Amino acid sequence: MVEQTSSPPVEADNLHAEAKASHSLTYWQLVRRRFIRNSYGMMGFIICILIIFTALFAGFIAPYDAQSGNRKVLYSPPQLIKIHNSESGFQRPFVYGFTEEMDPNTFEIKFIPDPEKKAIIRFFVRGSEWSFLGIKSNIHLFGSDDGVRIYLLGSDNLGRDVLSRMIWGTRVSLLMGVLVVICALIVGSLVGMSAGFFGGLYDLIVQRIVEFFKAFPDLPLYLALTAILPRRADPIMIFIMFAGILFLLRWADLSREVRGKVLSMRSLDYVRAAEAVGASNSRILIRHVAPNISSHLIVWSTFQLPEVILLESFLSFLGVGVQPPMVSWGVMLNQILDFQSFAAAPWMMAPVGMIILTVLAFNACGDGLRDAMDPHSHG
Amino acid sequence: MLWILIAMVSSASNKTLLDVKNVSVDFKTVGGIVHGVKKNSFYVKSGETLALVGESGSGKSVTARAIMQMLAENAVLGKEMEVWFNGTNLQTLPEIEMQKIRGNNITMIFQEPLTSLNPVYRVGDQVAEIILKHNKITKKDALKKVISLFKEVHIPDPEARLTQYPHQLSGGQRQRVMISMALANEPDLLIADEPTTALDVTVQSEILLLLKELQKTHGMAIILITHDLGVVRKNSDRVCVMRYGEILESGNTDDIFENPQHPYTKHLIASEPSGMPDSIPETAKELLRGNALRTVFSIKHGSFINRKKLDLVAVDDISLTILEGETLGIVGESGSGKSTLGMSLIRLQSSTGGTIEFNGNRIDQLTRKEMRPLRPDLQVVFQDPFSSLNPRMIIRQIIGEGLIINKIGNSRKEREVLIKEALNDVQMEANVMDRFPNEFSGGQRQRIAIARAMVLKPKFILLDEPTSALDLSIQAQIIDLLRDLRRKHKLSYIFISHDLKVVRALCHKVLVMQHGRVVEEGLTEKVLANPNTSYTKRLVESSII
Repeated sequence: MVEQTSSPPVEADNLHAEAKASHSLTYWQLVRRRFIRNSYGMMGFIICILIIFTALFAGFIAPYDAQSGNRKVLYSPPQLIKIHNSESGFQRPFVYGFTEEMDPNTFEIKFIPDPEKKAIIRFFVRGSEWSFLGIKSNIHLFGSDDGVRIYLLGSDNLGRDVLSRMIWGTRVSLLMGVLVVICALIVGSLVGMSAGFFGGLYDLIVQRIVEFFKAFPDLPLYLALTAILPRRADPIMIFIMFAGILFLLRWADLSREVRGKVLSMRSLDYVRAAEAVGASNSRILIRHVAPNISSHLIVWSTFQLPEVILLESFLSFLGVGVQPPMVSWGVMLNQILDFQSFAAAPWMMAPVGMIILTVLAFNACGDGLRDAMDPHSHG
Repeated sequence: MLWILIAMVSSASNKTLLDVKNVSVDFKTVGGIVHGVKKNSFYVKSGETLALVGESGSGKSVTARAIMQMLAENAVLGKEMEVWFNGTNLQTLPEIEMQKIRGNNITMIFQEPLTSLNPVYRVGDQVAEIILKHNKITKKDALKKVISLFKEVHIPDPEARLTQYPHQLSGGQRQRVMISMALANEPDLLIADEPTTALDVTVQSEILLLLKELQKTHGMAIILITHDLGVVRKNSDRVCVMRYGEILESGNTDDIFENPQHPYTKHLIASEPSGMPDSIPETAKELLRGNALRTVFSIKHGSFINRKKLDLVAVDDISLTILEGETLGIVGESGSGKSTLGMSLIRLQSSTGGTIEFNGNRIDQLTRKEMRPLRPDLQVVFQDPFSSLNPRMIIRQIIGEGLIINKIGNSRKEREVLIKEALNDVQMEANVMDRFPNEFSGGQRQRIAIARAMVLKPKFILLDEPTSALDLSIQAQIIDLLRDLRRKHKLSYIFISHDLKVVRALCHKVLVMQHGRVVEEGLTEKVLANPNTSYTKRLVESSII
């Protein structure tokens, strides 16, 4: 009597499966596909990669190092790259050096391009030595030979190349962002996951601590940094302490978000099924909960990174963040804190462009990732 | 009896009200274009009920929404599509004209009555709004009309209900409010999209009865979208059977059921659960016993100072025994404590009182750690196969997890053999092991969930509504599978369900629960044939034809 019920075999189910299997993709394959379709996000992603590459190989890409300068060329304006002159027609890209003239009426120093001081731009030239991860070299992407310095984005008050400093600054600014985000990510997700999963008194205590951190008024705290941090300390120490303080104020939000996600996940059937086969808490957390909040963490990071970079440049601009001789975009902007130097050398604003580009690129990338990972989230 | 009813309804009128030609809908997705509905044509005469029946994903709802022009943005309608309603082609109407037709001439009710009502407005105002939108009358008159509508759909105490919010009404009452909304402007055509699927069985039959009654008084046509063949047979005049976006067969309901032409229709009709559980030997030993079980959830509410504790008794003094190889069915409506009872028995839910014995040993006092050696013997299969498999794990990891945790199988290879055996048990190929759950259909996922339990060679499996999220034809396969497994491995089951048809096919004994208490228990055949309490009687009447 059972036979009669096992009627037409698994036909319908199989048909269905075949129809699905022909174009079935794993979660990450789908994410990649959706992301590649999103041209705005993709563009952001490519720029992000370029910025990260710049930060890593700053020594190679920057024509000069960040500290040395030519004392004779202070506040030199950007030099225009030319490929044509009246005498010899088209030729390799080159720039003219400047001769300084003083306006007899206003006593203003003027920089006049001087055809005599021609510097040809060459690629892979030898210059100051740099090292990165054990690679030592003195080859730079571009520069000029015979010791003549070129200033494509002008020079600053000590005759240092703004372009080179900006490229070196990418490293510090990005490092600050990455350091803060990674620390906040680790602490925030661990605290959030454990609080959401174990609940009870532990959760209660953790939530009060989180609230304590969230209650900190951040701007006055940053300004008080100047007082907190030892003035004559090693710049690297200050950098690390500064990163530490930024991190302390960032992990709390993430831990809240993660806690909420874990709370809703704890009642899901697959977590209970794992419990039913005898899984321990740590196994459930590592194998079942963590992988399912990973997409949230990735998106959070891409949105957090530009925020930290903005904050760093803002605070360094005020002089309370990264300290010279370290170079970050904010530190560079700090040099034109007063109006006169801004009016005299507007090209020193160049890091602003870099900050805007970075923030836009990371946000676009984060937007694209969020849409790709969770297409139902917006609406 | 049935024939007379159908004859009465269908004799009303023969004018064609809605004539749909070549409905086709494509969806643009990341994976390319997906064909939702392929060139379907059908018609509805005024005063009749047309059922669109098919399994999930067959395009029933999409077809209905295409008529209403209420599709998602990525939907593309076919160019040759024509929708003739009362002599006008709706396809050619601008959106503003369409808005006048929606909610006035054609209305729709949906599956989930909680989400289709706005939770922040009073129900009376929500219904009145529909009336005010299409008629020029005062708010006061509109509310009067709402009261008469509420009376018509048999909402008790309609004046008081006006000022209530959706969450204060039960599921059945909310669906009645939805129906009154749909009726507000005396539509010619009502599209009911799975109107009873989210409701309990006894409420289901009441709502369907109400629809039929209203159809007679208002003379409107109904398109009834459902996957439930029982509902189709009882409530429709004509039926269109759909699969993969195509209408395979259409005709008079009784013709289709008596003499189905298409093999798929035959297959569907044959997959109604039937048969009986095979008998268990007299010598079977007792496996699991629960004595005076009680589970109480205490809910704290009120302000900080005026804190109150409310005790919700989910399981109230229930005793039961299960023999080796036996299946006990637990039936009851949602919220009756069925799942809580089951989960308490296998200690996935802590109980407040009573004792549990497994194989003669007390297990109710054991800690979670002490329970671990017993876990392989006591397994569970959940209702929703979409949430019970971790989406980030491949099938090999999902099934193998229990083996790793319980240290069964010494090497990777040994475990793989066991996983293959379990997959074989649930009639799946071994090559699915490296795929992710999202690549499988609901039925296949449920097979994988069963394999996860089976791989541990359990003695007892708690089946928590394992078939209610599945399509009918798949449901029948899973029931057959469970029956085979029981025979092969001498398993004991507790089968939690609200579907008495399935329970009849699978369970030796049945236990009927209401509000956390047992209202009736005994051998399945006896209880279903001669229900003693009125509650069981209602359950039996509404779910078994």
